[in-house]
Amino acid sequence: MTLASMQSVLKRYGSCAALDYIDLEIHEGEIVGLLGPNGAGKTTLIQALTGILPVDQGRISLFGDSRNPFSDANKQKLGLVTQEIAVFEELTAKEGLEFFAGIYGLRREEKKKRVAEALEFVGLSAYANKVPHKFSGGMKRRLNIACALTHRPRLLIMDEPTVGIDPQSRNHILESVQKLREQGTTILYTTHCMEEVQEIASRVVILDQGQVVKEGTVQQLIETVRHEETIIFDVADPLGIPLRQVESIAGVSQVSVSGSRITVISAAGAGNLDRILSVVQQHSGVLGIQADKPNLEDVFLTLTGKQLRDREGSR
Amino acid sequence: MTIFYFTLKRSFANLANLIFLTAAPIACIFLPAGEGWPPLAYGYAYFGIVILFVAIRLAQIMMEDRVKGILKRLSVAPVRYFSYLGQHLLAYAVILILQSAVVVLGGWIAGQELHRPWALFALYVSFSFAALAMALAWISVFRSKDAAFLFYMSLIVLAALLGGIILPLEIFPDLLRRIAVILPTFWFAEGLKSIASAQPFADNVRINATLCLYALVFLVLGSTRRMQ
Ligand SMILES: Nc1ncnc2c1ncn2[C@@H]1O[C@H](COP(=O)(O)OP(=O)(O)OP(=O)(O)O)[C@@H](O)[C@H]1O
Ligand SMILES: [Mg+2]
Repeated sequence: MTLASMQSVLKRYGSCAALDYIDLEIHEGEIVGLLGPNGAGKTTLIQALTGILPVDQGRISLFGDSRNPFSDANKQKLGLVTQEIAVFEELTAKEGLEFFAGIYGLRREEKKKRVAEALEFVGLSAYANKVPHKFSGGMKRRLNIACALTHRPRLLIMDEPTVGIDPQSRNHILESVQKLREQGTTILYTTHCMEEVQEIASRVVILDQGQVVKEGTVQQLIETVRHEETIIFDVADPLGIPLRQVESIAGVSQVSVSGSRITVISAAGAGNLDRILSVVQQHSGVLGIQADKPNLEDVFLTLTGKQLRDREGSR
Repeated sequence: MTIFYFTLKRSFANLANLIFLTAAPIACIFLPAGEGWPPLAYGYAYFGIVILFVAIRLAQIMMEDRVKGILKRLSVAPVRYFSYLGQHLLAYAVILILQSAVVVLGGWIAGQELHRPWALFALYVSFSFAALAMALAWISVFRSKDAAFLFYMSLIVLAALLGGIILPLEIFPDLLRRIAVILPTFWFAEGLKSIASAQPFADNVRINATLCLYALVFLVLGSTRRMQ
């Protein structure tokens, strides 16, 4: 069953289209990884899908209802983890969760039980009676997630739930997301981190400049770049490398710089490695060479010409 | 009433609020009377400033919800914005009414000359409504909590001064006195005068009605602008 869908949704900010005719479907039981760099439109997409933001054009449907997708009955089945940490600083973790359980209509014993469950789920039981004011960033993030869980949503939408936190908290969150799915929750998971998507997503949607540039399972996406290979040079003087010249070598499709690394994407079996190497060597010392099997990072690079994380050096 | 209950809880959660909600009104009860001015003891005029101050402190809770994204959470939950707003305002109103009751009752027990305690209580309540509505309108136009608060604090002091709460209006030039009529604080000071000089009941009603009208106007201004 399709739990949520968007059909040619357009949302403009001034002249810039934050969502540029988006089509998207989320089916029951999936973890959809929504992947995109900063400013791709991930948050805008989520806000449009949840009714926070009115859209300029297009059709949105939740739980099969496109005429009144944001009805109370539908909202009751929807959970949202916001990108910003939206928890009550002055209430204890438990009280904060009781608030959210309460507005979803839970009462007394049921409420207590669900709150305890949610705290347990994010590993904050020991901090139930502490105020988040003193929590670490990771703990706040986890509480932020718990706030969306007490009413056991059927569809959970998470906007970069792991941004800026320690690896331990992050692993905990990723495991929780998988556990939720096993319990039957459908999840839209937004991130700009490849590894996370590769680890948990059953389907990936890549978003760039307000457009869906590709979607499919991790395997399918990697298939699309199967005929390519990635060569990474560690060089002494990355800025001295004439990228255009490397790009003009037969078979090469992409060249980008990130820190001291030059990443070259080339058709597999083009036999051009010696030519690429000689150009690079002419302009800089080479400290290391590495050839990689294609992964999601390369898919992204091929599709958008950008590196997802270290984008500062990309051309 | 989940929102109402938690709003009360949050209102008392931080220390600064706790002090203002409890210590300030109690202090007002025990301030001495002046000679000829103000019409009642000092504390009973200054309580007007306390009301303005408490109202903005309380309304800031809603501002925080907006800035921190809690309103986004609520807008995907099955609650109406007006239910959220209504329950918040109700909680704040309850707090302010209780404070007013404490101040009037406390003064009566402590033997302050209050002339007509019931009329005084009614005046405080009407003024509380006006103060709350003004605070709501104020926070609806600001994005930063601290800026909103600091700016409003200076406005409170100015309005209290020009309205005749801090100093008698008579010492101001004629022009300022005429302008003062547009300030809710002026009507508050008028109310105190009216109570102290045993004006007819209708006079009290007129003043309270004026304050409630302020409340209504600001409430409309503050609540039509959705706080997303
Ligand atoms: N309120 C707004 N007014 C104007 N432009 C906006 C507004 N919100 C977002 N944008 C623009 O819309 C585009 C998409 O923004 P959005 O926040 O959806 O991106 P994102 O993928 O969530 O990025 P991030 O990873 O930084 O959270 C950006 O170019 C952004 O500048
Ligand atoms: Mg975002």
